[in-house]
Amino acid sequence: MEEPGYYDIRHVKGISTSIEIDNGVLESATNSFSDTAIMRVLGRRGWGIVTIENFGIKTKKEINEYIALAMRYASVTEEEVTLADCRSGILPMPKIKEDPRGVSLEEKCELLSGIERAAKIEGIINTRANYTEGTGTVNFTDSSGNEYSYEICRSGYSVSAVAKKGDVMQAGRESEHNILGLNLRHKENKGLSAAERAVKLLDAKPAKGGIMDAVLDQELAGVFAHEAVGHASEGDLVKEGVSVLKGMNGQKIANSIINVVDDPTLHEFGFMPVDAEGVLPVRTEIIKNGVLNAFLHNRQTLAAVGNGDAGHARGQAGDVPLVRMSNTFIENGDSSYDEIIAECRDGILLKGSRGGQVDPGRGVFQFNAEYGYVIKDGELSGMVRDVSLTGDILKTLHNIALCADDRIMNPGYCGKSGQSVPVTDGSPHILLRSAVIGGQG
Amino acid sequence: MIIMDNVALIDDILRKGAALADEAEVFFSSGKGISLELKGKLIGEAGGSESWGIGIRVIKDGKIGCSSTNDPDCWDKCLESAVSSAKLSTPQNWEGLPQPCSLPDKNLDVFDKDLSCDLSSATDLIERMLAGASGTDADIVGGSASLSQGKTIIANTNGVFYSIEKTGAGISMETISKTSTGYEFDSSSHIGRIDPEKTGHEAASLAVFSKEGKEIETGIYDVILSPVAVCQLIGSVLLPALSGKNVNAKRSFFDGKLGCGCMDTNLNLYDDPENGMGSALRDSEGVPTRRIDFIKAGVVSEFSYDLKTAYRYNEKSTGSAVRAGAGGAPAIGTHNIYLDGKREDIFDEKAVYAHTVVGAHTANGITGDFSVELSNAAWMENGEKQSPIRSAMLSGNVFEMLKDIDGMSQESRVLGTVIVPALRFSGLSVVGN
Repeated sequence: MEEPGYYDIRHVKGISTSIEIDNGVLESATNSFSDTAIMRVLGRRGWGIVTIENFGIKTKKEINEYIALAMRYASVTEEEVTLADCRSGILPMPKIKEDPRGVSLEEKCELLSGIERAAKIEGIINTRANYTEGTGTVNFTDSSGNEYSYEICRSGYSVSAVAKKGDVMQAGRESEHNILGLNLRHKENKGLSAAERAVKLLDAKPAKGGIMDAVLDQELAGVFAHEAVGHASEGDLVKEGVSVLKGMNGQKIANSIINVVDDPTLHEFGFMPVDAEGVLPVRTEIIKNGVLNAFLHNRQTLAAVGNGDAGHARGQAGDVPLVRMSNTFIENGDSSYDEIIAECRDGILLKGSRGGQVDPGRGVFQFNAEYGYVIKDGELSGMVRDVSLTGDILKTLHNIALCADDRIMNPGYCGKSGQSVPVTDGSPHILLRSAVIGGQG
Repeated sequence: MIIMDNVALIDDILRKGAALADEAEVFFSSGKGISLELKGKLIGEAGGSESWGIGIRVIKDGKIGCSSTNDPDCWDKCLESAVSSAKLSTPQNWEGLPQPCSLPDKNLDVFDKDLSCDLSSATDLIERMLAGASGTDADIVGGSASLSQGKTIIANTNGVFYSIEKTGAGISMETISKTSTGYEFDSSSHIGRIDPEKTGHEAASLAVFSKEGKEIETGIYDVILSPVAVCQLIGSVLLPALSGKNVNAKRSFFDGKLGCGCMDTNLNLYDDPENGMGSALRDSEGVPTRRIDFIKAGVVSEFSYDLKTAYRYNEKSTGSAVRAGAGGAPAIGTHNIYLDGKREDIFDEKAVYAHTVVGAHTANGITGDFSVELSNAAWMENGEKQSPIRSAMLSGNVFEMLKDIDGMSQESRVLGTVIVPALRFSGLSVVGN
């Protein structure tokens, strides 16, 4: 058998819990069990990959058989691969406050139900709440002798409410996810706030589309940091030439007040103690004082592209690691929220996020706010709904005129190539000149 | 050999399950696949996988419990977990899992005996796609080819045992020309029914065509949505609104509109479970499937139900239970969705043509309001794309738009399990940059 240039195995054994409550009915409270491994083997040119379910404990002989199979796959690959030498290592795990695994499924159901009940206020016709908890034991081994093992429990909930008046229906939603322990206690206020927003939106007018100045709240500006800056700085996209940031390293791509960071070492929802290639995660300053400073990389893209840090490889259990973001944010500036609203004078305040999407090759992004307020003469006036923002990444980065000093991080999930990973986005309030706003008003 | 073992295992679980609950059900799925990934125009990754999983559901006194695992040695823990999960759930009216019955003797045409999950078949697809894309000045930045074979079984303690085998072939290609991107894909249950040359050619042509796009003035325009764009928008908004669960929970636009002619009279929307990649004679909880006419000549005629929702709201299951692999509990879904009506030439009069949209998932699923960025947009006239539009944001409301469709194209496109034509609308709001 031809010897592989390198191989690694990432094995994840896990239990996932999910609870679903729909209009007061406990639809399901389920535990599921999984055991999956992925082996990557570097052939002469390119990777051979084997996904193995029920990996369990394998003998040396069995491992060698998988390596041989992966090498057969690699016989058709054609790409020269060099892996950068990187510092391997693992960070300590954060302390958990209340371990969710020590709380019974029954009690979690009761707590979630309390949050859902709090959303039943006048005008609300439907409420829903979900809880998810995933505990995974990750074991990483590679042919260079690196071995890491860690266990992480991610948990969180979401609550949503639908309000109706006549023919008009609107929804409000709140969610929280974290790695620091059970977060279901004393959260009834979140259910209430989802419901109150849904009711308030019944009287909101559709936003009027056009080009105007906009203030983005921390959540939506965080989505901008993630979608527009983060994805375009992923080393695999840069390497294949599908990022507008390709070849722009060292160039001024944003207003000098802009600093964008991806930091997997923070104890936020996107935290990982070691990346999916055994590399020690590091904080990467993507944009520094408006200048494109560094890309996010794995070992292969770092060797191919340069300019940046490896340690950003992540993969779902059983899937190939890709270059991914973790905790991505715009750093605080020195303006206050009030200054930003006043400086906007006439425009729109966009709040919350219904998600977004980007075409990094074209440099175009789209995202939707949950709601907003018209800004008139430097003050907030009427509430608007269904308002979206699109734009050109590079133009928009130059058009961010002010950053406030009130950064907040928001957890969520990010999809890429069919894989979903936990992330956090964050930002302070920002003022964006000449934003392209969509709406039907 | 393996199949026999699995059948014995399913029998074991059902027997033990019957002793612990009123009824028990096992959903089994196994499969294998091979896939290739292009990095630029070179194959960078080649991978193979085998999967195996079971989902167990038990019902006791109207309380439903589920669990799943991909570890065959773990099945007793999984059954135990399903039983304790049932103890927690809210009891509901439950009239039983389905009974055995005779099924139509029909070849669903979802298994290709000529499809083999081997490296040479997959590399052939890649090579043909690359050949299709050659000769343009678009760079190939990525792509994939995958081949799969899978088997699912649904079995319950009433004696239902339904098994189906499927194959699948899928390809995609991503291209760029300067800052203009192109993406195309194709999939089928039969390897001979996908067209790699065409997929490669289209992906490259899209990037090249959109290269020198001109801006569009903000205003009201006639807009044609390609089948892909139609699929993106109805998938995010219209299909969830037709689920009997969302309707009865009053979070659907169609709540209270059964029998209402609130869509264009030329609009027919139905699920045909015997014609397409998503076909099955029994759904994923064993109920015989049937055609569902959601919208008939603009009239809202039916909603879809699984057993749990049907029993709860005094309706009948429409055979609409689907599962996302063995891990998921059954939920209301669709088999093969068709949007149909009188066809005509819709590409003659000048209109904005949208190939795909960016951000369809951010649409408001309850109200139908959306605003999305268009990709590979163009001015369409005299049956052809004339000149590219650089960037445009389209805003509208899916339900309002479907009340008044200007026209449906002659041809439909098969997009996995959704089969739709292009649609023409007038008076939509477009914001230029």
